[in-house]
Amino acid sequence: MKSFIVYIAVAGLFSASVARAAGPGIALSSPGFLQSQLDGEGRLVEDWGPIQITLQGDGLTPGASAKVKALKLDGVTPAGQARTDYGAVALTLTVFRAPAFPAGVDVLSARVEPRDGKETTVRLKVSLPENVRIGTRAAHIGGRSVLLLPQTARSAQSMRDWGYADDAASLPGWAHPASACDPAFANIRAGLGGVPISYRFKVEPGATRKVFLGFCESHWAVAGSRPVVCQVEGALAKNIDPLAAWGRHIPGAVEFQAKDANNDGMLEISVLPAPGAPDLNPILNVIWIFKPDEPVEVPALLAGEANSRVLRYVDVGGKDDQSLFAGGDIEYDLTVPAGGRQLDFIAAPPQSSAPLPGETAWTSEKLRRAALEVWRDWR
Amino acid sequence: MITTAAASLSLGPGLYTAAARSRKADPNFVDPAGLRPHPQMNLEAAILEQPRPYWLGWPGTTYDLDLRQKEYRALLAASCQKLGVTLREEAKPVSKENDLVALIKGVQERKPHGLLVILQHMQSWGWANRLANEAGVPLIVFSPIGTSFTGHVNDISRRAGVHVVSSLEWPAVEDGIRMIRAKRMFEETRLLWIRGTERNETVLDRLGVKVRSIPRASFNELFAKMPESEEVKDIASTFRKHAKKIVEPTWQDQLNCARAYTTAKRLMADEKANGLSMDCLGMVSDKLVPTPPCGAWTMLQDQGITAGCEADLHGATSMLLTSYLLDRPGYMNDPVAETAKNLLIVAHCTSGTRLDGFDQKPAPYILRDHSESSLGVSVQVLFPVNKPVSLIRFQNTNELIFDSGKVVSNVNTPPAGGCRTSVEVAMDDVEDCRDVLGFHQVVTLGNHCRMVEGFCQLYGINVVHSPRYGTHKKA
Repeated sequence: MKSFIVYIAVAGLFSASVARAAGPGIALSSPGFLQSQLDGEGRLVEDWGPIQITLQGDGLTPGASAKVKALKLDGVTPAGQARTDYGAVALTLTVFRAPAFPAGVDVLSARVEPRDGKETTVRLKVSLPENVRIGTRAAHIGGRSVLLLPQTARSAQSMRDWGYADDAASLPGWAHPASACDPAFANIRAGLGGVPISYRFKVEPGATRKVFLGFCESHWAVAGSRPVVCQVEGALAKNIDPLAAWGRHIPGAVEFQAKDANNDGMLEISVLPAPGAPDLNPILNVIWIFKPDEPVEVPALLAGEANSRVLRYVDVGGKDDQSLFAGGDIEYDLTVPAGGRQLDFIAAPPQSSAPLPGETAWTSEKLRRAALEVWRDWR
Repeated sequence: MITTAAASLSLGPGLYTAAARSRKADPNFVDPAGLRPHPQMNLEAAILEQPRPYWLGWPGTTYDLDLRQKEYRALLAASCQKLGVTLREEAKPVSKENDLVALIKGVQERKPHGLLVILQHMQSWGWANRLANEAGVPLIVFSPIGTSFTGHVNDISRRAGVHVVSSLEWPAVEDGIRMIRAKRMFEETRLLWIRGTERNETVLDRLGVKVRSIPRASFNELFAKMPESEEVKDIASTFRKHAKKIVEPTWQDQLNCARAYTTAKRLMADEKANGLSMDCLGMVSDKLVPTPPCGAWTMLQDQGITAGCEADLHGATSMLLTSYLLDRPGYMNDPVAETAKNLLIVAHCTSGTRLDGFDQKPAPYILRDHSESSLGVSVQVLFPVNKPVSLIRFQNTNELIFDSGKVVSNVNTPPAGGCRTSVEVAMDDVEDCRDVLGFHQVVTLGNHCRMVEGFCQLYGINVVHSPRYGTHKKA
């Protein structure tokens, strides 16, 4: 089986890429909404950055230029298509605006086809702007979701020493602590739609740590409304009901003796909805990681007076919080059958956001049908 | 001659249709029956059994497989005919692994809107689970009593995309088919969102409803041109004739109300739409129309055409749900806490009258004006005391609030202020009326918890209920 590497780069720097624009582009829109563009180089240009797609790898012809054309999907829906011939592999990008409520999304399908009709393996590389925070399936700029990634498992990606690896949402200023406390208690990340909140921290393989997770519930007031399950690697999972433990608007913290149990050099911390919880959206306010023998008094911890001794302090959902995945490249190792393989990305066009995993039933197929139905009856 | 709209307020569905036909000679007539979506729905069905003859194990050797299967096939055919569903049945029961694989492959290829399986042996549950995982379409599992224990249904009956009926009650199976039909009706619905100045169209996630935004002026400009036609006069006359009492509205108010109704129909027909939600309060506030549309919305609601207030989009989608799933109108309410009696008052100036269903007799109603503006025609629909009601509200397309209660009384205005249809409800599972979740929850007669929860589970919508105990700590 022939093997080579395919790079699909989603380029990031908006201004630089605009300067490089060449050739006529294809305007993409849906009735009543602002346009995106598939430009002459085959890049999808959004207001948050252009998406450029290139292929590189063994056996591929470098520097081939995309052939861009307009077409109508299903004979009705306006779309743009960029086809690039890289020798052994052809890459076809098809993009159309789908009229997803409230302001639409752009559906970008990247199809890789071996030209010799034989199964092959490829590495598919997606590059995003440095200011994009990449989660498991969603990418954000600030609070805006800009890209929904396909479910296909990623093979490699530039990772930071610590950060979240989930699709939860950052909600700064969500909580209203009733008393003076560590300022991080004002911010949260929330697993909207019931998705877990997950962090990973680089440690020496097999290392032990003392971990505190901080909570402050400011929506519900009655015990049992939002119980969560805390999973800290190497420690027994704990069910925590912040309202039962401390009450509404009252900061609290729970201690765990953590260990990198699988010796992979990463300490994993997750907060999930408790089974049967009335509110399935887990929250988390603060993470403190200390040496295992560090004496910590909880009142001092809550007051923010232990932060000078902490190994890692995370103001969850605050301005210094970060994704585990560095901005830039995402890579997928794919087996491409003789008939080709397609990955679908859903991008945020101007004045819109990409759907969040766990909160959407949209698929590229459903979005295509939605576009067809809207354009078919539009006048 | 009596018109369609008027007929719908006073006559059964058969006469209503006949009257509609008589009006079709008028080129300006919009038949409301054509506004309600009639989607194609394809259902596939199969019986899952084990190789015969049966020996030990439920349903048992004495269970007459042929007789039961004949009976269930007949019931299924009748239900599909009644609901306008196209049925494709597996001719022979699935009794071997190969049969199951072929069924899964076929369903994956044909992509029907739903799959219904009838279990005829306890050992078939593994196959039901495989279908739930692999078929890729909503799955209804009918397990007649004698084909399951609690352990069989405990997990699968709570899974998204699946509806399990462990019962001998065939109507419960038919309800499952109604759930899929309701989803198809959502998908075939274009809702006019009449507000602001924008014109665009989007589609709602999960429900598939097309939302066409059109400028608010579209309505009042068309209303200004709408004549006092024979249809308008008929509607106005019939609306008054069947009222239990008329308090404020004059004949001219009634004509304007009927013109609002014909305006709405015409607008929906022109836009290929099936329902609407309008910024009515803004329109009245700006004095763009002589009448709020409350009375017109009552008539549309009774004809199965969703007409929502205040451009509340998810108020309207919640009304679509009662219309499509429960075949009855609902009204979006402003909730009020009656703290002396610990009751919830649910109030608005419009409500359908056919509370028991579109094909049932209407409830008595009193013609009033719109209370906040003293304009036009509104209705006080008198809800039956001691009957259950449901409160339903899509928060978004991922989450729905469901609560239930019982009608205690109808609240008159005066002495109360607020909206004309105003009903006191004793909540079922909420200790304190102040804690009822939501605003503009849609009120509909009957407790439809199972039906609504079943629909939501089939389509991955999370259902939440108001908390039984308060959300605020006592001082």
